[in-house]
Amino acid sequence: MFAGMNAASYSNEYDSIVAAMQGYIEGSRQGRSELMRSAFHPGASFIGYAGGELRQGTQFLFDWIDGNGPAPDIRPRFTSVDILDTIAVVRLEVEGWSGKLAGSGVRMSDLFTLLKTENGWKIVQKAFHWHAAIERE
Amino acid sequence: MVSGSHTVARNRPQRPLESWKQIAAYLDCSERTVRRWEAREGLPIHRREHHKQDKVFAYPHELDSWRRGRTRTPSTPAPTPEPQIHGYLLEHAAITATMHYYIEGARAGDSSLMRPAFHPAATISGYCQGIEYIGSIQLVFDWIDGNGSAPDLKPRFARIEIIESIALVHLEVHGWSGRNAGANAHYSDVFTLLKIDGEWKITHKLFHSHVS
Repeated sequence: MFAGMNAASYSNEYDSIVAAMQGYIEGSRQGRSELMRSAFHPGASFIGYAGGELRQGTQFLFDWIDGNGPAPDIRPRFTSVDILDTIAVVRLEVEGWSGKLAGSGVRMSDLFTLLKTENGWKIVQKAFHWHAAIERE
Repeated sequence: MVSGSHTVARNRPQRPLESWKQIAAYLDCSERTVRRWEAREGLPIHRREHHKQDKVFAYPHELDSWRRGRTRTPSTPAPTPEPQIHGYLLEHAAITATMHYYIEGARAGDSSLMRPAFHPAATISGYCQGIEYIGSIQLVFDWIDGNGSAPDLKPRFARIEIIESIALVHLEVHGWSGRNAGANAHYSDVFTLLKIDGEWKITHKLFHSHVS
């Protein structure tokens, strides 16, 4: 938690941020990108290594989620939610990824940055690290 | 034959060098190198108080002393950590070095100094004076160049978090000035970085402008 915010307002913002993140989590679990699209700002960016290749653009992410299909056993943990007025950072640790593209038992660390817009908190970037288990597939 | 006036000049206390240009000429390098040496290697540069502009000066004898004490070659960009240092600290040093390109460019009002810190596909998000900025990092470069120098910039590393190939840097920056920043402005920046081919590059800058 960043300084300069009282506990009540932190809790309110926290709940809004986690609610937005649930869209991402549900979309991931069901393998349906339409469930997560509204969590992202239309101008959001996405960059990182997937399967050893540098991938960019939220469309890659959405296509990947749809192509991966259900990942019913994911276990997401919010390891930090930091809020500073109009900006926020969420670190999500997700174990138990599975699916056509993920393989099985894969762990991913995500850093989401969010912006508080007129339409609520929106993800503006997702950065991620696939842990080595992806090599199994 | 040595003229009398030459002898007098040699014995006179040395006058300060009054600009980046003069300092660069004295050290026989570019102005950009001088700025980099100041930021990275403690080159003794002084600043005039109560000047809006980036008014710098330096004493030749201090520059000489710095040059004598400097063992690295001029092209060495940053101190190289000892190999036995813990991996986290090695990554921390590399990330900090990347961030200093941003800080130097911001201070000088010269986006060309900070471009090496960014991935070409980097993006920016945030509000500045009620306007939503979401898009290419070029928006930052244009803002920096339009802003001009911000000599009193005081950056503080509030947090550096590293997860294997990705990292987060929270920078609290006080003392912004310039044509776009105004006077004594405060920005909070959250940078996301990705380690690409062994180099840390900023892929996103999220910012919040604190209105005084």
